[in-house]
Amino acid sequence: MIKARNIYKTFKTTDRREVKALVNFSTDIKKGEVVVIIGPSGSGKSTFLRCLNRLDEIDSGEIIIDGVNINDKKANINKIREEIGMVFQLFNLFPHKTVFENVALALIVVRKKSKEEALEIARGLLNKVGILEKENVYPAQLSGGQQQRVAIARALAMHPKIMMFDEATSALDPEMIGEVLEVMKTLAREGMTMVVVTHEMGFAREVSDRVVFMDEGQIVEEGTAEHFFTNPIHERTKLFLSQIL
Amino acid sequence: MTFSKRSLITLVILAIITTATYYFFARRGITYIWHWERIPEMLFYHGPKSADDPVVRLRMGILMIGFVLTLKISIASTFFGIIIGTVVGIARLSNEPMTKGLSLAYVEVIRNTPLLVQIYIIYFFVGSMLRLSAFAAGTAALSIFAGAYVAEIVRAGIQSIHKGQMEASRSLGMTYAQAMRYIILPQAFKRIIPPLAGQFISLIKDSSLVSVIALADLMFQGQQAVARTYHAFEIYFTVAFLYLVMTFTLSMATQYIEKRLAISD
Repeated sequence: MIKARNIYKTFKTTDRREVKALVNFSTDIKKGEVVVIIGPSGSGKSTFLRCLNRLDEIDSGEIIIDGVNINDKKANINKIREEIGMVFQLFNLFPHKTVFENVALALIVVRKKSKEEALEIARGLLNKVGILEKENVYPAQLSGGQQQRVAIARALAMHPKIMMFDEATSALDPEMIGEVLEVMKTLAREGMTMVVVTHEMGFAREVSDRVVFMDEGQIVEEGTAEHFFTNPIHERTKLFLSQIL
Repeated sequence: MTFSKRSLITLVILAIITTATYYFFARRGITYIWHWERIPEMLFYHGPKSADDPVVRLRMGILMIGFVLTLKISIASTFFGIIIGTVVGIARLSNEPMTKGLSLAYVEVIRNTPLLVQIYIIYFFVGSMLRLSAFAAGTAALSIFAGAYVAEIVRAGIQSIHKGQMEASRSLGMTYAQAMRYIILPQAFKRIIPPLAGQFISLIKDSSLVSVIALADLMFQGQQAVARTYHAFEIYFTVAFLYLVMTFTLSMATQYIEKRLAISD
């Protein structure tokens, strides 16, 4: 479903240093697969996600999603993005819109659905993430965990084929992580293709099909969660796991 | 402190200053004979207009006619100022060098030349080429002037919105324009209401400069009335008060809007 080949991505920092975020990065993600990407900060995990829906542009290489080269000039990036839901670390809910409007807006604006149709879809999704009773409040009145669940519902509203989670639980209070992970696990069990950047090893162990350990823009080691927690091979992986587990 | 308390104190202070000034002149023995009784007829009067229009009815006096024109030109140039400012403010943030450069040039040229000169140029040069009326030329000059300032306010407002808002919108498949319209601009406008209000209060006052192109606004009519009657103090006090009515109303209106928009905070 996702084919990434030889991707390079370099950022320029404000003091004009060059930071290599992705170095000759390649991977394949199959339909229905749940891939967890782990690694130290600055290892390029988030950059990879952001390149998949072109929030960041790659310098070279090729990304093919569902047979479409997304960096092709002729590709309609807005259409591609509709198929890829993204959940952010800081939720990024629209603060001037109610919970219902947050979920329904793209349906109305992008998919040109009627308000009634959008309402029905939004209600269904808010119910699914367990927050239907809050549909008319503004995001500022919700807890972090509730906001993130709304953000997941918002991404699901476009009926995406792929869901990306960019450290979706990192900004949450510890007692709220569980409710968000629960929603993510449900999605995984339903067969959603997921690319998850996270530090939640419990999640990786429970639902992931494959764990990818990245460092300095490259894949150091990949395999099943089982492999990672019982016998990781590389020294770098062992060091990282010993620090976070 | 509540709003009503504050405005009451303001009114008391104003009243004290006015009375003090009045008695200061009286004590100094300036032989100025006040003719406040001549002012009401400059606002409204009951009678015929001229020999051509002898119907006796309630009519607007010279200052009120000027007040209405100032109001019209201020509303029109506020409207166009917002449109120009929004478009240019967005253009300032463009990645396209041409768009970026042109919008920057516009802002810098307009902000760094006097409004009075701009009014003359637009009226005598552009206006005579395009056969613009004085009102159209005056409105154009004020709109273009206000647009440059509004553009910078709008740009700052857009930049103050967290970039995650644009990313979240785009990740849902919205175009840049859709994200601007539904997500970024509504939040930005809410934030820039205070500086925008200041800008448009300035615009109302700056509109007095269009009197130089013989546009019969409040300032112009005030000057005419002074020339005819020599009641300079009374008339200019009244003119100032009428400007105050407009600007104070605008202040109150924006405070109300700000409160209304605060519900999602």
